[in-house]
Amino acid sequence: MSDVLYRLSNVTQCYGGKTVLDISDFSVSKGAIVGLAGHNGSGKSTMMRMLAFLESPASGKIYYDGKLVDIADTKLRREVSLLTQEPYLLKRTVAGNVAYGLELRGADNIESTVRDSLNMVGLDPDLFMSRHWYELSGGEAQRVAFAARLAINPRVMLLDEPTASLDRESTLLIREAATTVRDKCGTTLVIVSHDQTWLEEVSDVIFRFSMGKIKE
Amino acid sequence: MDFIVNGFLHAFVLLFGGDPETYSAIFTTLAVSTISISASLIIGAPLGFLLGYHNFRGKKILRTFVDSMLSFPTVVIGLLVYAFLSRRGPLGDMGLLFTIPGIAIGQALLGLPIVIAMMATAVESLDQRLKNTLLTLGAAHSQILRTTLWEARYSLALAAAAAYGRIVSEIGISMMVGGNIKWHTRTITTAIALETGKGEFSMGIALGMVLMIIAFAVNFSMSGIKKRAGQ
Repeated sequence: MSDVLYRLSNVTQCYGGKTVLDISDFSVSKGAIVGLAGHNGSGKSTMMRMLAFLESPASGKIYYDGKLVDIADTKLRREVSLLTQEPYLLKRTVAGNVAYGLELRGADNIESTVRDSLNMVGLDPDLFMSRHWYELSGGEAQRVAFAARLAINPRVMLLDEPTASLDRESTLLIREAATTVRDKCGTTLVIVSHDQTWLEEVSDVIFRFSMGKIKE
Repeated sequence: MDFIVNGFLHAFVLLFGGDPETYSAIFTTLAVSTISISASLIIGAPLGFLLGYHNFRGKKILRTFVDSMLSFPTVVIGLLVYAFLSRRGPLGDMGLLFTIPGIAIGQALLGLPIVIAMMATAVESLDQRLKNTLLTLGAAHSQILRTTLWEARYSLALAAAAAYGRIVSEIGISMMVGGNIKWHTRTITTAIALETGKGEFSMGIALGMVLMIIAFAVNFSMSGIKKRAGQ
């Protein structure tokens, strides 16, 4: 059984005729923490959408767990979850948001999972579960979105600048939760961040992007 | 001036004294508008959703057509529905002319473009991040459609309120298709027109007050929904 979870081979992506991503070879090992660094517009977020199976490449092949990826495969998509800098919260309560992915999967013990997930991101379930989406601050909304991803316990967690607009307390909580989930569940993490210190501290390997290509 | 003051006083007597003729018009209005708004929503909401959600050839033309239908005069709708439901018309055998279901058909046609247009606009203006969020949480195609519809629920309620406001206050369709038959198809608006024509201001004022209360309630609920929809 191979240790490689993702493998991208000669993958390109184009928007409006312009090539924004050109990756000859890229792979991610199972259970690894991979950092993606680079300036704005260097192709990191496009790469994350590819890894989240949200879009197909213009050319090339993406393999996941040894199989060629079909982004229409819901079962495959359910193994991976993406958290962006400004996540969207559903027009529901906090509990409704965190439970959504579990309900899709027909999970049992939804309430206890929701409570555990909220605790992991430092939100008191008794205080927050019944709050509505419009009653949350930016930092709380980000933590709720992260809790929603933690609840579904994906095999791969893609974090695209997850703490860029957060205060110090929220930043530390999300970072701690991310590493905890890897240590406890063996979740593979791919992290995009401008915080070089954090990336170097947590990542097993860092890929640096420039003009849509990996530099090293 | 006295007749206006007396009209208001008598209107209160009619309303609070439970005048059967006045309440017949009120109940008929509520019955017919409930049927028509339900039909408009059942048919219009999915159509509006599909129009807003999908991109296809001819979408712009269809949107323009639906938007044009928003200003369709009620008397013209009344005329067309009358033509279809009259004994010589293609649906004449159904015996719907001068009945509550007949008026409801016309009023549903009046509300339909409002619901379709508002729903399509609501879906088009949903946050672009919604679909990716649902995908990344593992939603299948049918689950994405259902959740997107649920996310647009406040806009749908807004469309319902706007359509109901137009339906409950129209007169052309009720008069032409309903025939303004006492105890049967006489609605608030047709009764006001008739009673005012006869110089019977009190019933007109009484029914006018009820209509104003309904309009106020609709507007009040719309302002609450608008606030929630924008959050």
